[in-house]
Amino acid sequence: METSALVLTLRLAGLTTLCLLLIATPLALWIASENSILRKIAQATVALPLVLPPTVLGYYLLVGMGPASGLGHILVKALGHPLAFTFQGLLVGSVIYSLPFAVQPLVVGFEGVDPGVVETARVLGASPWRVFQRVIFPLARMSFVTAAVLTFAHTVGEFGVVLMIGGDIPGVTRTLSISIFDLVQEMNYPAASRTALALVAMSFFALLLLYARAANARRSQLG
Amino acid sequence: MADVHHQLRVAGSRGAVRLEVALELSAPWTVLFGPSGSGKSSVLRAACGLLPELDVSFQRSEGDGWVDLTKTPVHRRKIAYAPQGAAVFTHLSVQENVGFAAASNTAVDAALALFVLGAMRTRSVRGISGGEKQRVSLARAFAVPNARLLLLDEPFTGVDRRMRDDLLLRMQERAEAEGVPVLSVTHDVEEALLLDADVVRMEAGRITGRGTARLVLAEECARMRRVLGFEA
Repeated sequence: METSALVLTLRLAGLTTLCLLLIATPLALWIASENSILRKIAQATVALPLVLPPTVLGYYLLVGMGPASGLGHILVKALGHPLAFTFQGLLVGSVIYSLPFAVQPLVVGFEGVDPGVVETARVLGASPWRVFQRVIFPLARMSFVTAAVLTFAHTVGEFGVVLMIGGDIPGVTRTLSISIFDLVQEMNYPAASRTALALVAMSFFALLLLYARAANARRSQLG
Repeated sequence: MADVHHQLRVAGSRGAVRLEVALELSAPWTVLFGPSGSGKSSVLRAACGLLPELDVSFQRSEGDGWVDLTKTPVHRRKIAYAPQGAAVFTHLSVQENVGFAAASNTAVDAALALFVLGAMRTRSVRGISGGEKQRVSLARAFAVPNARLLLLDEPFTGVDRRMRDDLLLRMQERAEAEGVPVLSVTHDVEEALLLDADVVRMEAGRITGRGTARLVLAEECARMRRVLGFEA
């Protein structure tokens, strides 16, 4: 197994998780509190990466971030190089691709917090930030674990988007899932199967962690 | 009659009830009395700023003028509130709940003592009874620093009568000592009579009577006497 691909994958998944928790938290708070048609539009948009072929997403990102588009042009001016075929470009793609995996559990978690409790905290003098920090976050903390684990695991496993906008550059954009593809094309099945097994193990343990935490949380709620 | 300290006007529909309430609070303790579904809780929530869909205006007397709180954010209204159903923070212990808004440990200790919660202060609120949660909610409201109005919504749900009678008088004493006026909601005649408060009767979203407990609740008192066998 390529160590550089492993490190790159973990770095990408870690940063994607971090970015997504920062982006998804306010978005999910808004979706959970909103009840208009805007909420449905937002939810449908957030869920799009679930149903679109990753290549479609990757294609739009590639074109959108390329120097030919308006946004791409601005990016090139700002960064000095296009975002496509770079680690940052990969990060942007991963964030969009895994968005529903972070937003959805958080929306469910926030909706599970008793609105009466939140209202009471506000009346008792807690500012919006304090209400989030002292009431909403601790009551919905399991949803943050779920969102983080799912985002991380999903990013580790992504292929289509990474291939489209990353372009398989060793050490820069070649993640584990892409290195498997390369190894298979080189007919190097032993190495491919080692990497594949490592990915299966990583995903399995991530999910095991998630379900173990969920069971613990349920027990402590009953006790 | 003491000076008016708060003025509240609420109009608009809440579920099946059409609210049309104009209330001037002047007594140290005012009781909103009425049957379930008459809109009492909505009046309290409107004062807190929790019902932005209603047409509300809310003023407080400060010094020698009036301060308009209508547009003041919920968390800056200096209201201590014990909502219906307690709404305790289930992830915190009894004393952490009481200390949620408190400025000092002394305030927390005083509130815990007032509501006889000292012995269970370190327990999680998940494991305590409904009446105990209610007391935690009341203690939490009494520990709010610099509150200018105390709103209590059905404060004694699940609290046994002896405890209620005991708490009621101590709460009244404490609120008067700190100079914080109280507006409480109840459908319990005894509660209103015990407090000897200024009673505002509400029915179907409107105020239908106002005065001392004995006056406004004369009909209920007579019914109670009949039930107890004092009158034929």
